[in-house]
Amino acid sequence: MNLRDKLKHANWQLIIAAPIAAAILHICATLAAPNLTAASAYSRLAPALPVNKMQLLHAITPGAEPLPFLAPDARYAMCRFDATNGPVNVSVTLPPDQGWMLAVISQQGDNVYAAASTPDRATPISLVLMPSEDYFLGVTPEARGIARGAQPPVSIAATYGIIVVRGPSKGHAYRGEVEANLRKARCSGRTF
Amino acid sequence: MLSHSALTPIHVVFHKLQKRLSILLAILGDWAAFIGVVLILGLGTSWYMIDVGTPLTTERQGPWVSWTSAGRADADPYTRAHFARLGTLQLTAEITLTYLAYTDDEGRRLHSSCDYAVEGSEPGTSWWSLTVFDDGGALIANPAQRYAFTSQSIGLRPDGTYLVTLARDARPGNWLPTGGAGRLALVFTTLDPTAPLLTSAADERRPLPHIRRVQCR
Repeated sequence: MNLRDKLKHANWQLIIAAPIAAAILHICATLAAPNLTAASAYSRLAPALPVNKMQLLHAITPGAEPLPFLAPDARYAMCRFDATNGPVNVSVTLPPDQGWMLAVISQQGDNVYAAASTPDRATPISLVLMPSEDYFLGVTPEARGIARGAQPPVSIAATYGIIVVRGPSKGHAYRGEVEANLRKARCSGRTF
Repeated sequence: MLSHSALTPIHVVFHKLQKRLSILLAILGDWAAFIGVVLILGLGTSWYMIDVGTPLTTERQGPWVSWTSAGRADADPYTRAHFARLGTLQLTAEITLTYLAYTDDEGRRLHSSCDYAVEGSEPGTSWWSLTVFDDGGALIANPAQRYAFTSQSIGLRPDGTYLVTLARDARPGNWLPTGGAGRLALVFTTLDPTAPLLTSAADERRPLPHIRRVQCR
């Protein structure tokens, strides 16, 4: 059977269907991959973190890494937030230094908010995390006749996730200072 | 009266059976090939784009690979799947970039049986760190308790460049112990809230350290 006969007898329906089916499988496999993983970062960290409370993590050492490829170049304070029962207030002041960062990471691993420090000045950050479906902050203080004394907090729609505050590990001499700054970070829930 | 089949010689029946079997086998063969092609193409390309990445999702400089949408809310599905599989906590690529290297500059797998010289220069004003892991992402235990250097802890040369030595045994200067970890992974992280981390022009790329193999045992 020569090539012409082979082409004549080939099942063209299947040949055309193959790349289409492969494309569908490719899309399904790619979209399903995050849900098929044994342990995402959130599911590994969540059991060890109290809800709506900031916790300073131990220094990262061999055998005690909470996550793969988590470098010991920084100390971490984390808070597992759950805004289903009410907004979660977050307040952190990043010191005037390099390498400090605050990130609000959703259950899916998205950074819904992130801010880094600058060496020139301290960076005070105040956030209110709202459930995605209740993204309404009510009447403003000004509307209620109350003067606003400070910068209003930034409102973010996020129901579940982890707040990460990272401070650079600069050696033993700075350890106490870095830990003290991380301990000042706050994360607390409140009712509507 | 005898039926038609009873009158048919046995070799004709076999011939018919053989013909039907060959048609069945051809159909099964077509479907097997179809399923094989669909699985290989569909799953294979998905695995490649999630595990290895393409220029659409990654930035490559020599042995260093960074996922450009890591941690972002608008990340593509490949980047999401990549980090979900890796199980890492990804900070947004808008502020911090993480580069991962499994090979040296010549494409040879990093291994603890070899010594490496990692040389680079200060990348502007941004904070950075260089950490060595085994290829599973675990830290390598060592008596010196040294696992990483940062822009705040590294010893620089007078010209602003640095040299980090990856070796099993102690070395002078910036030494990162590799113990008997086997295959290694190097992670270079930069954090800069002021400058755009990703630039399109190749000549504007941020300087990443070179990884040179010095010797192997």
